[in-house]
Amino acid sequence: MLRAVALRAGGVLALLAIWWGVAATHLWSEVFVPSPGAVWHQLVQTSTTHGGQRGYGGHLLYEHLLASLRRILLGSLYGVVGGIVLGLVIGLVPTARALLGPLVTFVRTLPPLAYFSLLIIWFGIDESPKIVLLFVAALPPVAVATADAVRGVHVDYVFAARSLGAGRWQIPLRIVLPSILPEIITGVRVAVGVAYTTVVAAETVNGVPGIGGMIRDAQRYNQTDVVVLGLLTIGASGLLIDGLLQLAERRLVPWRGKS
Amino acid sequence: MRPSDSPTSTSDAQAVTGGQQVTGGQAAAVSLDAVSVTYGGDRRLGGLLGRTDTVDALCEVGTDIPGGEFVTIVGPSGCGKSTLLRLVAGFVRPSRGEVRVAGEPVTGPGPDRGVVFQQPRLFPWLNVRRNVEFGLRMTGVPAADRRTRTAELLDLVGLSEAAARLPHELSGGMQQRAAIARALAPGPGILLMDEPFAALDALTRERLQEELRQIWRRTGTTVLFVTHSVDEAVLLGTRIIALSRRPGRVVLDETSTLPREESPHAHPGFLALREKLAATVRAAAA
Repeated sequence: MLRAVALRAGGVLALLAIWWGVAATHLWSEVFVPSPGAVWHQLVQTSTTHGGQRGYGGHLLYEHLLASLRRILLGSLYGVVGGIVLGLVIGLVPTARALLGPLVTFVRTLPPLAYFSLLIIWFGIDESPKIVLLFVAALPPVAVATADAVRGVHVDYVFAARSLGAGRWQIPLRIVLPSILPEIITGVRVAVGVAYTTVVAAETVNGVPGIGGMIRDAQRYNQTDVVVLGLLTIGASGLLIDGLLQLAERRLVPWRGKS
Repeated sequence: MRPSDSPTSTSDAQAVTGGQQVTGGQAAAVSLDAVSVTYGGDRRLGGLLGRTDTVDALCEVGTDIPGGEFVTIVGPSGCGKSTLLRLVAGFVRPSRGEVRVAGEPVTGPGPDRGVVFQQPRLFPWLNVRRNVEFGLRMTGVPAADRRTRTAELLDLVGLSEAAARLPHELSGGMQQRAAIARALAPGPGILLMDEPFAALDALTRERLQEELRQIWRRTGTTVLFVTHSVDEAVLLGTRIIALSRRPGRVVLDETSTLPREESPHAHPGFLALREKLAATVRAAAA
């Protein structure tokens, strides 16, 4: 445990050292490789009100982050719920599999940005198209994982339950859903990951406050240190959330890999 | 045949099965009428999960099993003995012929027939108590009765201490004990067991065989027990049915006269019956 923590901390420190070293050589200008110090300075600047300027673009860094996280959480929440329901239906009903399976695969192969334009035409440029985009992006992987997991449930669990008096309509909720809980949690992690990779793209249109919007604006003004700060912020929050999900997994499915 | 002396009259039996047991009365507990199976798994339930298991074929199997018997079904691998059990359980439909339980044609699985699989198939998300309780919940037993029945059953299989543990925290033998308690919970008249001890080590298997015999005597449940072990078949069965190689036909159907009160290993009849059965199975497998 201690060793693992030490290894991780060491890895981060080593990367920082390399970054600092490369920046210190001044082989490339600050516009290409901002120094760790410059990024740290921006962290302070964007987190405070200084000289009448509030954070970056009128919002503090944590407000940008919260706006992005809100979109990520709402989008992946809808995506996970929709994906589980769709996956159960596809996995349990052969007709639904034939009808919806190709559609899900089709949507899954589309790059989210390809349909973002369509969503803007339909929903405008406020919150709705962003959250719908994350929902559409997060749903297919959950649906596919759920449907595959349903088909992997050993039929004897169903038979056991039926022999104990469970009716056919009790099987999906009583047996199938808890059986596939491990795969569903994996699906949630994938969905959150997809939402993370998509949110910055979603925020390129009217995305302030939002980390993506901040990065986009900073890029326009060649503020590379702010761009890097945005990347580090979104990445760190992603690590934190994935860690929480792993913790939840250990608590919720202690039997994973053991039965 | 021993329809009248089936051991159903002890107070233990009433306590454990809740008085719902099917005794050997007018109709046989299980009756198979020229049953053949020639195709894949139960399409109705199989379709629900999007899979169809292929099943070994059975050919014209017919037999009547009175209530209270402990029937062991033995035969070479792939002879359809599991299929026979799954027919009675209602997991598989016969292609021809009819399977009846207590006089009624089998149309699907039901809580009147408990099933124990080779793998315990305990629900991994429920602890031992909740697994045992599952059938009581499904059959609408009130909460207070559920608690006392579950406690009785856990006591019967010696798992009272492990009630709060999850299945993956138990040894294989304990898991199979829990599976037996779970199957007995709704008070089934018939207990169907598909090589339940095949995956256990020899010592655990012997102990569970002895415990199963005790449970059978105390509950009076009719047991259909599939095994590939000739020893196990002779050891446990009051009646032994041997099947031939696929497609399975009944090649031997013998009532055992070995005593049931203690382990029959030492009885002189044990070796004789064992030899006869082994020769039959060998011939059937050839």
